[in-house]
Amino acid sequence: MCGILAVLGCSDDCQAKRVRVLELSRRLKHRGPDWSGLYQHGDCYLSHQRLAIVDPASGDQPLFNEDGRIVVTVNGEIYNHEELRNNLPNHKFRTGSDCEVIAHLYEEHGENFVDMLDGMFSFVLLDTRDNSFVAARDAIGITSLYIGWGLDGSVWISSELKGLNDECEHFEVFPPGHLYSSKMGCLRRWYNPPWFSEAIPSTPYEPLDLRRAFEKAVIKRLMTDVPFGVLLSGGLDSSLVAAVTARHLAGTKAAKHWGVQLHSFCVGLEGSPDLKAAKEVADYLGTVHHEFHFTVQDGIDAIEDVIYHIETYDVTTIRASTPMFLMSRKIKSLGVKMVLSGEGADEIFGGYLYFHKAPNKDEFHRETCRKIKALHQYDCLRANKATSAWGLEARVPFLDKEFVNVAMSFDPDWKMIKPEENRIEKWILRKAFDDEERPYLPKHILYRQKEQFSDGVGYSWIDGLKAHAEDHVNDKMMLNAAHIFPHNTPTTKEAYYYRMIFDRFFPQNSASLTVPGGASVACSTATAVAWDESWSKNLDPSGRAALGVHNSPYEKRAAVVANGKLATKVTEPVARVMGTAAPGLTIRG
Amino acid sequence: MCGILAVLGVTENSQARRSRIIELSRRLRHRGPDWSGLHYHQDCYLAHQRLAIVDPTSGDQPLYNEDKTVVVTVNGEIYNHKELRKKLQSHQFRTGSDCEVIAHLYEEYGEDFVDMLDGMFSFVLLDTRDNSFIAARDAIGITPLYIGWGLDGSIWFASEMKALSDDCERFLSFLPGHIYSSKSGALRRWYNPPWYSEQIPSAPYEPLVLRKAFEKAVVKRLMTDVPFGVLLSGGLDSSLVASVASRYMIDSEAACQWGSQLHTFCIGLKGSPDLRAAREVADYLRTRHHEFHFTVQEGIDALEEVIYHIETYDVTTIRASTPMFLMSRKIKSLGVKMVLSGEGSDEIFGGYLYFHKAPNKEELHKETCAKIKALHLYDCLRANKATSAWGVEARVPFLDKEFINIAMGIDPEWKMVRPDLGRIEKWILRNAFDDEQHPYLPKHILYRQKEQFSDGVGYSWIDGLKDHANQQVTDAMLANASFVYPENTPTTKEGYHYRTIFERFFPKNAARSTVPGGPSVACSTAKAVEWDAAWSKNLDPSGRAALGVHVASYEETKAVADASAINGTPEK
Repeated sequence: MCGILAVLGCSDDCQAKRVRVLELSRRLKHRGPDWSGLYQHGDCYLSHQRLAIVDPASGDQPLFNEDGRIVVTVNGEIYNHEELRNNLPNHKFRTGSDCEVIAHLYEEHGENFVDMLDGMFSFVLLDTRDNSFVAARDAIGITSLYIGWGLDGSVWISSELKGLNDECEHFEVFPPGHLYSSKMGCLRRWYNPPWFSEAIPSTPYEPLDLRRAFEKAVIKRLMTDVPFGVLLSGGLDSSLVAAVTARHLAGTKAAKHWGVQLHSFCVGLEGSPDLKAAKEVADYLGTVHHEFHFTVQDGIDAIEDVIYHIETYDVTTIRASTPMFLMSRKIKSLGVKMVLSGEGADEIFGGYLYFHKAPNKDEFHRETCRKIKALHQYDCLRANKATSAWGLEARVPFLDKEFVNVAMSFDPDWKMIKPEENRIEKWILRKAFDDEERPYLPKHILYRQKEQFSDGVGYSWIDGLKAHAEDHVNDKMMLNAAHIFPHNTPTTKEAYYYRMIFDRFFPQNSASLTVPGGASVACSTATAVAWDESWSKNLDPSGRAALGVHNSPYEKRAAVVANGKLATKVTEPVARVMGTAAPGLTIRG
Repeated sequence: MCGILAVLGVTENSQARRSRIIELSRRLRHRGPDWSGLHYHQDCYLAHQRLAIVDPTSGDQPLYNEDKTVVVTVNGEIYNHKELRKKLQSHQFRTGSDCEVIAHLYEEYGEDFVDMLDGMFSFVLLDTRDNSFIAARDAIGITPLYIGWGLDGSIWFASEMKALSDDCERFLSFLPGHIYSSKSGALRRWYNPPWYSEQIPSAPYEPLVLRKAFEKAVVKRLMTDVPFGVLLSGGLDSSLVASVASRYMIDSEAACQWGSQLHTFCIGLKGSPDLRAAREVADYLRTRHHEFHFTVQEGIDALEEVIYHIETYDVTTIRASTPMFLMSRKIKSLGVKMVLSGEGSDEIFGGYLYFHKAPNKEELHKETCAKIKALHLYDCLRANKATSAWGVEARVPFLDKEFINIAMGIDPEWKMVRPDLGRIEKWILRNAFDDEQHPYLPKHILYRQKEQFSDGVGYSWIDGLKDHANQQVTDAMLANASFVYPENTPTTKEGYHYRTIFERFFPKNAARSTVPGGPSVACSTAKAVEWDAAWSKNLDPSGRAALGVHVASYEETKAVADASAINGTPEK
């Protein structure tokens, strides 16, 4: 990833303003530790902090068209840049950067080129011929972007909130799949895939179509000039990413530079379920596997830093971001700059446990659509910012535009959980990779249910967080919570604790409005809470509340699927927590 | 490098205090991006930000002795750690880290072990058995260290000022070669080499002894488990480092892992003298050479960050730090974590141009001693912090303890610049590596005079800085300088500009006092300004003022030097 900050039309071109823009841009330096650039044209500033992944030697930004009149600062990867270049034969390119194509596409097509880009990106493009500009964000919001307005009439656009929150009177999340054009002075959506309307699709399920689409999505993400790896929690999604990558790595350019052996990474408290599951997958795939252990105290000590980086007070996001944040630091210290990660599959296929209670396929489908549209505020936000905090880039093949189209066009009846037909959650994805002749994964892994949410890193992690919050938030504070935080009032001490930290870093009202809220059970949207009456009474945001779903109705199947071992875990959640608490709670000091 | 922060004897130890220390420790994270650690015992905190160079997988800090009663947080490299480990047969080591030996040495020898360490280091060691602690800094001050005192009775130690300046009532630069012991409550010097007294030595010059000492100094610095390289400006000092490193690399552990081809790095404005000189040396040594270009505007845009990192307002240090700071970022982005660098040679051998005017060998020797003692405020500060800003570690073989003893034991008559005998500055060093059979460097490089100070990166760099300062600082501002800044009053607009930036980051009186001042010509001490009556009238801190010396007296030499000079194309 890189970090971008653009200040447009601030009616001030003095040295002090330049110094201030440089200073604010440095707040994004973690995203792009390799180099920085600032382009100034009158009272417009485009700044860039670069993480060099493609063309490290010459791709420093901002980037220009031939005559230098179109300037663009980009955070992202354009996977089809070579193809796009070929379509622009009369353009001369200055660098090997994948992002340069944006300047040329604009020159050729005006503002209507964004949908031609295949990748993840946020960019601001300045046309110095008429001092107009456009800004855009990728379809799903894999890369982060914010937009703000200064009292001096300036428009601010920044990869992270911290780049603009102190200077803007008002700011918002830049909506994914949208384009802001200074000529129109407003945002409009450029991303219009068939699934967006939430109409119920009817294409029959074709396992091989799905498999091919995913394989293509993974392969195009192997475009890199630097060392990379895969985040492997041992769950279905990350295991599939690892399996497909390992299979196709040999033919890539990356393999020529860095060897054909894939590196995989996993983090957890000592003895955690993820560590064990990931090791099993890594052994099967023959990856160079790296395990990182953290203690509950390490995690708690990092919380403030995590909230500063992730820019949210959403409880599950913070819980899940912390181990990822710690792991990213370790990964980076090994010299790895890019990782593939499994985000998005749970949204596309309804992988969360609460989907077991979806009343019908229509409801099921609409919930998946809502979840995908909200990804940029949850898992995309986490995956992008937890890794970018240490100059590591996360690529998410499940959120490939084409793959999403294929997966969201199937008749959602196929995604429904049907124990009577032995279909557990994400069955169509599992089935698509169930290849008897050349197995991607052993069956028991392909069909296993894994710990959801942050439980996988170790059961005592969430308990440790809750205990820590209990110590620092008293009942009196909770009583006043609604008055202090009228928007998205924290309902638990843990949430209150995170909120205090968030407000210290981002005190503006606009900032708290960038974070989603509302009723949720086990990561559901507010609408899905209505699926089960008992849920609205017990709004635990973690996966545990939904475990009730998991345990009771499907005990038999769980036992079959999980090879015995997991069954004991699933049916005895309490004993399980007690059992692993001891090694997890080795607090230093 | 790593970043250390220790807070000892705080009166309250709440969660808020812990959070605060974690937050302050994060200000040093650039020094140690790889991992962080915090050890907490009663009212003491030892924090660490780690750059993993030796034993990346298990050496996370703080480090402990066997029973964990002794805890230590270290920034540094102990080159003789294997040898020291052997002396501690009865001790069990927990990690492969070179720094762990400190905990065990303390256990074995008490407070008197610091001189046994061969390397660069700053550390704080806490003995939890009686809650006593010691802190120490290496002989020359290659690693930075500050000490401060809180109003609550706490004592603070930090690798950089920024970690303690907001929370201490008073703070100082921790003197190099010293140890602070909580038991005695005072600093004492542990470093007592023969040259320290500034007595005039009389050992005859033995070229081979000097050469061997330097080779040993370089070789021991090849201890690393990560990719590394050499900063190569093309001058004598860095060229010798590169030459010796490439010659001995094949036998080193590092070469087994990272290949035997040495990486070298150089930065400059496009077409600058350094770039050309370095390229020539790199070609001769067949290194993998990386050239980085920067523009005057990029340098100016980095100034605030440079001053924040380097923590000084000294004009020549800032000028020279900026290109080094920019280059370090590029080096790090290539995955290189450690570099060898040529600092210290000019001080030890009297390489600055003003040494041409040293009236006699006694004066020359005393000036070299004074320069070495001040290194921690100038070139060591720059080399360490400009690289550490991006998590790159700089190692400086010229400042090897043993090498200094040998170089400073030679009769200083040999160091005098003697045009009549064909001896230019640093002649004894050049001559030591003048090997006809296995040449380290081609003769014309070995004997060439190079641009001094920051001119080498391109002549327009300093001019650009001055122009920029002239735009920012008015005459009226400069006229009031002595009232605004009574201590170390800036005398130029450039000095004034840097000072305002420094004061914004470090507004306390104590911060101001950590930076040296006083009259200087071309990096001389105040004492040496007396060597030439004309100098006191023209106190330009850069090398150009002393060029008068150069051009007038030794035109012949200069003609040779000029051959390598390039017309710097002005950038803007």
